[in-house]
Amino acid sequence: MSLVILIPVIALVGHAFTGGVPAFWDAITQTEALDAIRLTVLVAFATAFINAIAGTAIAWVLVYDRFIGKSLLNSIIDLPFALPTVVAGITLVTLYGPYSPVHIDVANSWVGIMVALLFVTLPFNVRAVQPVLESMDFSAQEAASTLGSRPLRTFTYVTLPTLVPSILSGMGLAFARAIGEFGSVVFISGNEPFHTEVASSYIFALSQDGELNSAAAVSVFLLVFALVVLGVFGFISRRISQRIQ
Amino acid sequence: MKRRSLALRLIALFYVGVLVGAPLVLVFQRAFSPGFDSVWHSLTASDTASAIRLTLVVAAITLPLNVIFGVGASLLIVRHPSKFTRLLDTLIDVPLAISPIIIGLALELAYASNGVFGRALAHLGWQIIFSWPGIVLASAAVSLPLVSREMVPLLREIGDSQEQTAATLGAKPTRIFFTITLRSVAWAAAYGATLTLARIIGEYGAVLIVSGNITNKTQTLTLDIASNFENFATKQGFAGAALLAMISIGVLIVLSLAKQRERKNYEYHD
Amino acid sequence: MSITIEKVSKSFGRDEVLRSLSLDVPSGSFTALLGPSGSGKSTLLRLIGGLTKVDAGRIWLNGVDVTDVPVRERQIGFCFQNYAPFRHLTVEKNIAYGLKVQRRGRREIASKVEELLALVQLSDFATRYPHQLSGGQAQRMALARALAIEPRVLLLDEPFAALDAQVRGEVRTWVRNLQHDLGITTILVTHDQQEAMEVADKLVLLNKGAIEQVGAPSQMYDEPATDFVRSFLGPLTTFDGVSIRPHELELVPESASSGQVVTITDVVRLGFEVRVVVDDGTGGSTWIQLTHDEALLGNYAPGQRVRLRIRRESHA
Repeated sequence: MSLVILIPVIALVGHAFTGGVPAFWDAITQTEALDAIRLTVLVAFATAFINAIAGTAIAWVLVYDRFIGKSLLNSIIDLPFALPTVVAGITLVTLYGPYSPVHIDVANSWVGIMVALLFVTLPFNVRAVQPVLESMDFSAQEAASTLGSRPLRTFTYVTLPTLVPSILSGMGLAFARAIGEFGSVVFISGNEPFHTEVASSYIFALSQDGELNSAAAVSVFLLVFALVVLGVFGFISRRISQRIQ
Repeated sequence: MKRRSLALRLIALFYVGVLVGAPLVLVFQRAFSPGFDSVWHSLTASDTASAIRLTLVVAAITLPLNVIFGVGASLLIVRHPSKFTRLLDTLIDVPLAISPIIIGLALELAYASNGVFGRALAHLGWQIIFSWPGIVLASAAVSLPLVSREMVPLLREIGDSQEQTAATLGAKPTRIFFTITLRSVAWAAAYGATLTLARIIGEYGAVLIVSGNITNKTQTLTLDIASNFENFATKQGFAGAALLAMISIGVLIVLSLAKQRERKNYEYHD
Repeated sequence: MSITIEKVSKSFGRDEVLRSLSLDVPSGSFTALLGPSGSGKSTLLRLIGGLTKVDAGRIWLNGVDVTDVPVRERQIGFCFQNYAPFRHLTVEKNIAYGLKVQRRGRREIASKVEELLALVQLSDFATRYPHQLSGGQAQRMALARALAIEPRVLLLDEPFAALDAQVRGEVRTWVRNLQHDLGITTILVTHDQQEAMEVADKLVLLNKGAIEQVGAPSQMYDEPATDFVRSFLGPLTTFDGVSIRPHELELVPESASSGQVVTITDVVRLGFEVRVVVDDGTGGSTWIQLTHDEALLGNYAPGQRVRLRIRRESHA
């Protein structure tokens, strides 16, 4: 299927550098571009971080707690993954925008963007940690208790380190998804250039204006950035795994 | 410990409820509060109806293509490894990490009538971008990895001893392929196919760029919902959204049932 | 059906697994290919079966050169260590698979399958799926499936390795009896020397891709051709600087007239067998294998001084 991947990727990179490196640099250093990228990256990081905590807590409850409706909770977690992004997009802006039935209006702000991204990336964080918790054996924790360690201390020094690699992996996936997210974000963000325009919206706007080469340039930059971040996440995750062994 | 776990449980439920549950409830509330008739009207309005039709056509073309590709590629990657298959494996996973907007842009750059390939194809009378073939390509691109990501781990785990046994029992390679190989990964393929279908139906960003968003001609259901919403035809927009939401829920149910059944088959004896 | 292997060699990359190996397997025999991991025994089995191709040499089945014959035409039955069941088929469909390939009639297949199910004692499990069977049952199903096509030779690749210890013994005996009843030429690959000695008529000991010795199990045990054979086929200990089997030694009271004086350092009771470890005072340690009753009579305990000597009836 080189038709579908290889050729377009080559075309993308080719167009990004039509006009050479100066044109590429010019495109990505436009103020609007930088603002969009900065906004996207920061919100994406924040989202990945918050959902890492929330996701771990939810995974914990799913694995170790017992209550009616637990399997419903388990299935609902996958909904943001299965739901089309436009549906999420229009629903979130209706729920948390100017016509909000609960009088919460975070549209046209980075908060709204973050809510949308939290929605979309939740499954990644939960599903990354869940299997590790399921197969975790508690002998290390029990040993710690016999040595007098209190529950919180045991958690921080024994349980958490084992979970860190999977938490990081989930964060990486969430981050990658978040910086590229479009459909669920584009309605609630308002797409105001320099303020609430995410990178994908900016690229879209450029493409609609016919500035295809600039769009390509920003795209390539975003891709490389994402790859680098993923690589760093993976590296740290592997290092910690090795330390634990 | 019990008090702490109750608090944690409540926090988790609250978080998921607010973040995921509330929007879900809202979709259906907005769609159905004007009544079932209204929903039916919205879905059969000409632009939405033709959008639904286009979405179904695209799915009908793309799904089999991607499933056959996914099965074939997985078999190659696992059973006939080589440098080429390793490259194939990496390339297939590419769409997972890329924004759909970027995928759409890349496709447009490659196949638009003034692009390198587009020009050649235009000579043959084919228009890819801003026409349905482009939508098929975009749908194929975003859902490409979904089948092989399910099948490759499974193929690796079960190994080829079943196929070897079938050979000792006298079966020819084609027979082995159809009676053993395909059957043993049927569940994973079905699972991947369901995920693929859901993705194709739900794709927005990539299709938005590649289709040109021309009402009644190149709008899929997702595009139609968006444009209705932007033009303040909210009832119509939410009707479509509710339809998609129901499909997603249906997909989730099918998938979780499939996972349960699959797990039973592979839990092995003592 | 007899099997002849003539100067067969096989390498995987730079790994030379089998080196110009030749072997004759008589018709109707139960031969065990025994050896440590990496000795090439599984590879040899797969070459005989046609699942892997030889690099050099020839293989003959009943006087016919089958070296270039594909596996599906060799009429062999093969059982894997992991049983390789067709998971999506019921037990009876598994067994019937080869018969369907042969395009036999439905009624013929049904009666043959019923016969085989009775043979392997799985008649009540016909409509179950493999994942509902225990390890021993799954292996019996695999055997029935292989036997269904009336193979000329049965090849078993460590078939008992994945079973629990107790089940393993039972299935082993059952397979040996089955082979005697059916008279089918069978080759078993195993790394378990006890298993090989228990079931096989003929033992082939492999090491690093070559044959160390071929013969009847008891003969090879008593008359090992090389040191490797001796140490692989049975336990060894040292006495008086010489390597010897622990059951060829005996303990007698300190007051006896012959034997070396030693001190008992440990007594390990394994039920039917008792191992007594002794120290000869110069830092050398030897262990002696006694039967349960011998140990009972001797009433041995650590700290005792006794005399150690070679049994008169042994030929050490």
